[in-house]
Amino acid sequence: MTAQELAAREKQPVQGQEKTRAGRYFLPDVDIYETNEALHLRADMPGVKDQDVEVTLENGILTIEGKVLIDTYQGLSPLYTEYNVGNYFRQFELNEALDESKISAKMKDGVLELELPKGEAAKPRRIEVKTG
Amino acid sequence: MALLRFRSDMGPTSGLLSLQEELERFLRNPNFSLGLSAYGEFPPINVFADSEGVLVIAESPGLDPKSLNLSVQGRSLTISGERKSDEPKDNAGYHRRERAVGRFSRSIQLPEDLDLSKAQAKYEAGLLTVRVPKAEESKPRQISIQAGR
Repeated sequence: MTAQELAAREKQPVQGQEKTRAGRYFLPDVDIYETNEALHLRADMPGVKDQDVEVTLENGILTIEGKVLIDTYQGLSPLYTEYNVGNYFRQFELNEALDESKISAKMKDGVLELELPKGEAAKPRRIEVKTG
Repeated sequence: MALLRFRSDMGPTSGLLSLQEELERFLRNPNFSLGLSAYGEFPPINVFADSEGVLVIAESPGLDPKSLNLSVQGRSLTISGERKSDEPKDNAGYHRRERAVGRFSRSIQLPEDLDLSKAQAKYEAGLLTVRVPKAEESKPRQISIQAGR
């Protein structure tokens, strides 16, 4: 029996988009699930503090960006490394009609938790079938 | 010939670029042995040195600090725990599921000149940081010179 159920995924650099600022950006791993009321998103952004996350929704594009605190690594010389450090960036196109004013976000232990409530039009509705 | 050449290490974010290059150079450094653990296991680990000792940083977002276990034996440091999924309520459908969950355990071998009994750990912003100070006897010492008569 092994206690190792988890494998580490190598961080994927962001492709096809170039930032004016130097340095690599990585894609955060995400979970996205949908309930009747809302769309929920969780994104792993280790090393990012609450105040360094930016979430925007513009023209149906949801953008999440996290800036990593590099001060943590100041004055340290590496001996062995398995991961690289970088900012996080990812975008999603949303098809759902969402209530933008009700979007809530919080950061907990390096995980961004987003809740995007659906607008009235996108909620499932039961249509009554009349018997004639 | 370029008329203007910008130094790449200018400005506040350049710190990030030089850090990334430095980390890249040490990626899976064969001169440093982790012992039993291998690359690819969760959580990914970086090991650094500074004047005080060694710093082990593990990228492990979304853990309950109470479920994290740290232990030392001889020269090895073991990090174990469990990453739980926050199961959504009923009738939720997943669009994407990239964040792995489950139990993990890693043991790494640390250099000899450290005092593992004085190791300290903190968990912040999804980073587990373990600081292990140098052993007293391996710290630099001044040797006084006696003048001959």
